[in-house]
Amino acid sequence: MKYQQSLVIGGKGSEPHQFAQSLTGLALDRRGLLHAAGDAEIKVYDPSGRLMSKWRTERPALSIAVASTGHVYCGEEEQIEIFDPAAKTARVWKDPKMLGRVTAIGFAGNYVLAGDAAGRAIRRLDSAGRTVNTIGTDNNVGGLLIPNGTVSFGVDGEGVIHAANPGKHRVERYSGEGELLGHFGRFHFQDPAGFTGCCNPTSVAIGDGIYVTEKAPPRLKVYGKDGQFGGVIAAECFDPNSKNIPVLAGARGRVYAADPVKLHILVFEPEAV
Amino acid sequence: MNQNVTRRAAVAALAGGAGFLAHKAHGQVVWQVNASKCINSRLGETTVEACNLCTSSCVVGLSAVRAVNEHSKCGRCNICPAYFNITSAVDEKGMPSEKLCPRDAITRKPIGKQDPEDPSNNFYEYTIDEEKCDGCGRCVMKCKEPLGLGSITLRVRYDKCVLCNRCAISTACPKDALEQIPLPAALEPGLARRTE
Repeated sequence: MKYQQSLVIGGKGSEPHQFAQSLTGLALDRRGLLHAAGDAEIKVYDPSGRLMSKWRTERPALSIAVASTGHVYCGEEEQIEIFDPAAKTARVWKDPKMLGRVTAIGFAGNYVLAGDAAGRAIRRLDSAGRTVNTIGTDNNVGGLLIPNGTVSFGVDGEGVIHAANPGKHRVERYSGEGELLGHFGRFHFQDPAGFTGCCNPTSVAIGDGIYVTEKAPPRLKVYGKDGQFGGVIAAECFDPNSKNIPVLAGARGRVYAADPVKLHILVFEPEAV
Repeated sequence: MNQNVTRRAAVAALAGGAGFLAHKAHGQVVWQVNASKCINSRLGETTVEACNLCTSSCVVGLSAVRAVNEHSKCGRCNICPAYFNITSAVDEKGMPSEKLCPRDAITRKPIGKQDPEDPSNNFYEYTIDEEKCDGCGRCVMKCKEPLGLGSITLRVRYDKCVLCNRCAISTACPKDALEQIPLPAALEPGLARRTE
């Protein structure tokens, strides 16, 4: 399947819809509104890319997710800040030990999943923000291998966690209890199905397929649920120095990717056959 | 125990380097590579081929400039683009089949608890043999972000530099990356020679 770029949102600058220094996370709410985390703010855009609202976060925003209740979860250094649907702070889960640097957030059943880059692991939290168990550390290197300093994962409809393990050049599947269920991916420079460099993929999202982004060179690729390579969606459109490109899967095959150098969000749509 | 030995060796090497400098520099300035200017390590430089003017210009045999891996910054990756030629064919174990360094100056060894079955399930330490290195900059270029983490840089080694008044590398360098710095700055810990 081929994709075409349909929209560019945000950009680097001081306008309200733009980002000054960082663009770190993307999420969609149930209405299809795009939430972007960057600098120390959350910005909400409508499907055409128009800024609808924005608000400040307590600390620089590192990741974002929107729950089915409409609550917005923002990952930060040593905490997760939770906003109600009216963008008012509802709770702050502080845990410097288990939430050292929260670079990814997701949901599985009644649990909240937090990617802790400081601990190189995924924490499964209960509804009160207490860590129930840790995922990704039951191996020889004591965690996910993330030289790029970012934990990234997606959760499929069955609650299976798909985590990027860039140092092992693969995407790993985990149960909520932390059992490694399987993995796909291998190092290869020439074959686009492979992951190149020291450490790829850097980001993962789950939708109709498994979407991943890479660095050096930056690429957005898609794989089937079985790990079968589906193709390169985009490459040249990213700044060559981009790394840790946040990726998000939307409805009807729409894919969002945030360029962390140009500080804009690129939207891709499958081409009609 | 090993850490203590390593620390003692590093301190001894630093003291030795200081002795060299005190003897050779007489309190004057010394030459050093500014990594933020060097084409091989400067972020944003997209040159594909490494600049090797430090090798070809220096009056010292092999060059007084050598590559140094700052271990605290190193990602300790299984597939290091500075160690392997990552564009080479993949072998039966899924690893690149060729090394990058033409002088085989980088050694790779697993550290910590080892998993012999799965090479990707280990951390690795990459050490540059300064006696083999000629400062060609290939590994520096490949270690640069975003491909690597930028832990490898080119450094003037003071036990090799003869402190020319007019450094031939500085004359040749298109980015003016060779700079004269005061002696105390030259002795900052990051410049200490690793002797592990």
